Amino acid sequence: MNDLYAAVVHDVKNQLAELSLRLGARADAQQEMVIAMNASRRLSEMLLMHRQVNAQLTVNADSVDAADFLAIVAAEYRELFPGLKIELDTAAAPAMAFFDDALVRMALANAVHNACRAARSTVRLAAYEQDKMLVLEVADDGTGYPEEMLKDGGAEPSAVSGRGTGLGLYLARKIAELHRLQETHGRVELSNAGGAVFRMFLP
Amino acid sequence: MSDKWVLVVDDLEGMRSQLRMSLTNSGFAKLHLASSIKDALERMAVNRYDVILCDYSLGDSTDGQQFLEYLRSNDLIAHNTIFIMITAEQAYEKVVAASECAPDDYLLKPFTAAQFDARLEKLLGRQEYFSVIDKAADEKNWLRVIAECDKKLASKDKYFIELCKIKASALMSASRHQQAADLYREVLALRPIGWAKLGLARALAELDKKEEAQLLLREILAEAPQFMAAYDLMGKLLSESGEKEAALDILQKAREVSPGTMSRIRELSSLAVSAGKPEVAEAVMRQALQKHKFSPVRQANDYAVLSKALVNQGKTAEALSVVADAKKSFNDEHSSVMLAATESVAHRAAGNHEQAEAALAQAMSVSDLSKLSAHTVVALADACFAMGKEDEATNLLRHAIQNNQEDESIRSKVHEALTAAGKDASEATAMIEESSREVILLNNDGVRKAEAGQLDEAIASLCEAADRLPNNLQIVSNAALVIALDLSRNGKDAEKFSKCLRYREALIKKAPNHAKLPQIDGLLKQLKP
Repeated sequence: MNDLYAAVVHDVKNQLAELSLRLGARADAQQEMVIAMNASRRLSEMLLMHRQVNAQLTVNADSVDAADFLAIVAAEYRELFPGLKIELDTAAAPAMAFFDDALVRMALANAVHNACRAARSTVRLAAYEQDKMLVLEVADDGTGYPEEMLKDGGAEPSAVSGRGTGLGLYLARKIAELHRLQETHGRVELSNAGGAVFRMFLP
Repeated sequence: MSDKWVLVVDDLEGMRSQLRMSLTNSGFAKLHLASSIKDALERMAVNRYDVILCDYSLGDSTDGQQFLEYLRSNDLIAHNTIFIMITAEQAYEKVVAASECAPDDYLLKPFTAAQFDARLEKLLGRQEYFSVIDKAADEKNWLRVIAECDKKLASKDKYFIELCKIKASALMSASRHQQAADLYREVLALRPIGWAKLGLARALAELDKKEEAQLLLREILAEAPQFMAAYDLMGKLLSESGEKEAALDILQKAREVSPGTMSRIRELSSLAVSAGKPEVAEAVMRQALQKHKFSPVRQANDYAVLSKALVNQGKTAEALSVVADAKKSFNDEHSSVMLAATESVAHRAAGNHEQAEAALAQAMSVSDLSKLSAHTVVALADACFAMGKEDEATNLLRHAIQNNQEDESIRSKVHEALTAAGKDASEATAMIEESSREVILLNNDGVRKAEAGQLDEAIASLCEAADRLPNNLQIVSNAALVIALDLSRNGKDAEKFSKCLRYREALIKKAPNHAKLPQIDGLLKQLKP
């Protein structure tokens, strides 16, 4: 990326950071903070996309405690969406998990943000093991994914779309796929079950 | 949380005050703010912090990552201190993944207060969990680190892999390379993690399986070209086996990925000088010193290398101005000697014989040779050679060898100094061998005398050697041991006793697990009060 563009993005993120800390210090600016955080997340996604396109996105997996990982995500979104119940279900989380926590955090943030926007009252974050893979699950009690999303959501990001660009989901898929162990690699599955269910499988 | 000391390092006033407000709201009362690395270091010199929050980009100079590496490599930060990097850059992830020296966590800006609190809470839990291990690591008591890790490993909790990492690195520090290699292999059997591969490569190199190590390093770099530590180790292995051009190539490649820390710049530029590419050394070091202008990560030695690179290209006027520039920043004894020696060489090359003599005389006026680092001693020798003072030069190099008997890199430095002065390679090797043998004989002679009951003579010769060569732990440990033996046989003598304790302290500081320590302590315990 052009140094100037990178510097501008950096500067904007710094300003958003200061803005969101200021908003956080006020009791009445929750929604404004959501907007600031989301705007910044969009910039991050753009930078990540740039790296992905240039094949510079590499995964550095290390041991991560999945329960701690989700607890931090939950704490963040409880603050941003104080009207929602954000439940954690990590009792069945595997004792040992390996993934790139920075990248997966980014990938999950998009799913959690969408779930919080769509939920009626509750968002549930869960970690468990299935077919020897770690599953990180984000489920809401909203109206669920539309049919076309379930079919090929996030296959390619597009500039024209009613529901955003699909960039977040696209990146989540790529990040999951970059997690490899021998022959298996990660994936993302979308489904509807009393609301939208986002599942990231990591080897 | 309120009893924890926190230091915030950020060059942006707005962020500093927002962080302060955030931290205060979260219950942290003991809080200091620093706007620069210099500020932070001054604070850290007088206060011990439990948590350091540092912004990655600190204006136009040394960045947060380079600051952290500086702190860790100079033991300026306790192992138990939580270091959190704050950054607005996604790219930082690349930097941290590539570095061995990772912060305990990093926060991507912007973050919310709740996110920050939740992460800090986990980190404080971790701090508590590792406190005993970290304390042992601060004391460089590797055997204790290993033992404490073993206790905790048994419970197979969420820190299992991290404990393996700490234990393996303690095994390496305790020279138990085979066990370290085995442990890295165990981790790799669970998951091919980058740090475990690198650790294994490092252990293999120590076990003299250099080819296997290089193979592994190539594998790491093929998968993760941003893994900087792999380049550094590869460069080191190549340079040690005499393949200087190849080593230089690797480090140049690393620099294209990330300019990295001063330690890589140092390696690269001294390698370039010795590989006969002073122009490369000049370019690299000039750029680094420009970037780190006024930053504490610089050393006098960096200017000395730059000056040498310039002299080797015949740019003596520039070299002299580099030295003059350095003198403004460094005035401790060690640096003054280094710079005076460097200045002498530059003057000599410029044909200013008198000024060269004067600078050398100033460098040689140092009070105690044994306090200087080997690098400085070698620089002094270079200057002596340049002025035709062969005897002085060889004496200095002999001292460097004898005081750093175990250090491969010093041997190669000395070898280089000798060949640069016109000796041929075999002559240089012979001289190094002889210096090394001399000190071994001296040591053995002392031990033999002690065994034969000639304790006074043994003490006299070993103490003389220990004072002259304080880095040679074999000598220092034996000096402490013979005094302890004498005390246990002939009763307490205040002067000898304090001398023995002094050597013992020196030994503990450098090698708390030294094999002779239990023996020394056993004898000292027998002493009647």
